[in-house]
Amino acid sequence: MEMDDYPLDLRWSADGLWLAALPSHGRILVLDEDGNILASLPGHEGGNGAISWHPRRAALATYGQDATVRIYEMPPQDPAAAFPFSKDHSGPPSPSPSLVIPLEKGWAERVTWNADGSLIAASAGRTVFVMNAATGAIEHRLSEHKSTVCDIAWNPRSPRELTSVCDGGARLWRVGETKPFGHFDWGGASLIVTWSPDGRWVVTGDQTPSVHLYDVRRKHPLHIQGYEFKVKTLAWEGNGEWLASGGSASITVWPCTGKKGPEGAKPIQLFGHLKEVLALDFTRGDSVLVSGGRDGLLLLWMPHRSTDPALITRRASEITTLRWSPDSSSLAFATADGDLTLCRISKK
Amino acid sequence: MSKRTPVTVLTGFLGAGKTTLMNRVLNEQHGQRIAVIENEFGEIGIDHELVINADEEIFEMNNGCICCTVRGDLIRIMGSLMKRKDQFDHILVETTGLADPGPVVQTFFVDDDMKEKLAVNAVVTLVDAKHIWEHIDDADEAKEQIAFADVILLNKCDLVSPADLDRLEARIKAMNGVAKIHRTINAEVEISKILEVGGFNLEHAIGVDPKFLEPEYPFEWGGNFQLPAGSAELVATQNPDPSMKLVFLPVSSGTEEDLAKAREQAVRIFSSLEVTEAAPGVAVSCDAQLHELMLTEGEMRWPLTVPETGYYAAFTEHYPEELDLKVIVSGSEVLAAPAAAYKPDHEHDEEVTSVGIEESADCDGQKLNAWLSALLRDKGTDIFRMKGVFSVRGNPNRTVFQGVHMLLDAQDGGPWGSRTRKNSLVFIGRNLDREELNSSFRKCLA
Repeated sequence: MEMDDYPLDLRWSADGLWLAALPSHGRILVLDEDGNILASLPGHEGGNGAISWHPRRAALATYGQDATVRIYEMPPQDPAAAFPFSKDHSGPPSPSPSLVIPLEKGWAERVTWNADGSLIAASAGRTVFVMNAATGAIEHRLSEHKSTVCDIAWNPRSPRELTSVCDGGARLWRVGETKPFGHFDWGGASLIVTWSPDGRWVVTGDQTPSVHLYDVRRKHPLHIQGYEFKVKTLAWEGNGEWLASGGSASITVWPCTGKKGPEGAKPIQLFGHLKEVLALDFTRGDSVLVSGGRDGLLLLWMPHRSTDPALITRRASEITTLRWSPDSSSLAFATADGDLTLCRISKK
Repeated sequence: MSKRTPVTVLTGFLGAGKTTLMNRVLNEQHGQRIAVIENEFGEIGIDHELVINADEEIFEMNNGCICCTVRGDLIRIMGSLMKRKDQFDHILVETTGLADPGPVVQTFFVDDDMKEKLAVNAVVTLVDAKHIWEHIDDADEAKEQIAFADVILLNKCDLVSPADLDRLEARIKAMNGVAKIHRTINAEVEISKILEVGGFNLEHAIGVDPKFLEPEYPFEWGGNFQLPAGSAELVATQNPDPSMKLVFLPVSSGTEEDLAKAREQAVRIFSSLEVTEAAPGVAVSCDAQLHELMLTEGEMRWPLTVPETGYYAAFTEHYPEELDLKVIVSGSEVLAAPAAAYKPDHEHDEEVTSVGIEESADCDGQKLNAWLSALLRDKGTDIFRMKGVFSVRGNPNRTVFQGVHMLLDAQDGGPWGSRTRKNSLVFIGRNLDREELNSSFRKCLA
């Protein structure tokens, strides 16, 4: 299936019935698990930024350089866009958003729903806006970033805590407070951030080839170097026991349990890609890792059993994004030329 | 590697004409799709399908190394541009007048994604020919913008006399010996001279500017004065430095040949250790003695002793205009004719200069690599740019190196063809030791 432009992200709804596909420009597609296009949402003028599903409901937030957050309820309620196909069969329906939230203009990098679905955070330039997901009212404005915010992540265990990264490192915020409750300034720029499912670790992938981990409770930072490229992908296994990281042609999987986490521990290294690893995702139950690379390889790993991969496919162009469905039965991946594939994976 | 999209970086102080040039580039019928990344203070008035505003955000490096510092905003914006299906033929980046071009250029050398998809076509620096003198000595940004340039447009040439333009051009060439300099009015220049520079072309640069490898002088200016016997006066009102050396020496006529002969004599005089300090009021003689004028605030006057009527060549460490220095006889200013600007050797540490080296013997590839790596590692902070075409023993092709601070990019430059094999390299930076660079490079010869 063709996407309008370079695929930025793929996200499954919490129930696994809907897959949203975000290209860098053009229409945002919503598909069912069989790959039928159920809705085609208008792209954001100036380029798309990010998408995020409600943690429980089939509601999708989209955000882009036109400085608006739009929320769409699935299936679309808009009678003009009959579900699942428009009457004249001219193409998939293009529903109207149930809510449009205008923000201030600024580089739009991320939109993300919090753990209980009550709040949405979006970054616009150097500011993170926290909105009431029901009304769209801007409840908080988190500033104090010294440069454009590159990424934000909510604490999966606390619906009022989030982290943002920019040049300088990570900030930890509690909604309602104007100052961050934690600073992890390491002096350089962090590009992506993720919060472990158990809420213990905040991890950044950095512009200088490195990863920073922060044990939030102990306020203890760890710096992992030795990567070849800037680190653009990180993936958690289970509750946060293991962390897989890209940043090289090899995948490094760090143990994050025990008092010290990865400190002094030996990681599992997975060799199989020929070029930089660009996308990683673990299945939720049985720790199957899928990786996509600049080499066009899509590989499957069971890192606790073997360091040998299984080849799923090889594509001519790089694999930019991939995602397991919540029940791990389907895998969606996309390549730089805009090709989106949905496959059923039998892990036997 | 697939074809990389060329990026042209436009620098220059506020008011130098960047927006005029940008509009010119965009409105001309060149058939190219150009994306423009404008600085956040960019003047509105660029009418184009894709103009993006950038914040000029620096990604600092945790080790504090300026050489690894990149522009985060460009990585974001360029990254997004490169993800469009409808690709652009060219990307134009306009910086603010006060931007350091270092991180801009380094972005395309350091960042993996940028390096793979984009290549710097040229750094184009616009210089306001009339007002640059206000910045050229003091503002690091102005020096760096000139030092980093592949192409320099001396703009607003209609506002400046040809002699002043010559002087400015000589000064700029001393700082950056490889940039191609074009004199313009209203930034009118053939677009191909901006968009088709092709990274860098050292041979072309040296071909265009044969003076580049000329010797440097311990003075910036020389001029011939016809003076009557008796007492004249030197008057100055500005003090760019605490002092300035100068010499007056008798010559037989007011011709350019005599000035050139006197120049060689002056080089010897300047290299002598015998200097007479002359505070305002202390007489300066015209007998080939090196004097050091001690500069103070306000108007300064020195009696000038002329032994007999005739021609006297003066050589000064700075351009007379920088001190507003005049020779006065009987209340009137005597003008120098002929006069010449020289490429100064600039002993003072903070000055930006170029050092060019040319050697015909082949080099040893391993030694060359080791030398360049060590040199850029140790001196990378001071070396803004390095460019070189090398003749490496055993390699039928040309080896092309291009460096920005500590970063080095080597490429195969294709066959030598009918060209004579030789090594040509240039360093542009601060505190460059010409002799040391020459002698250490010679050790790389096979």
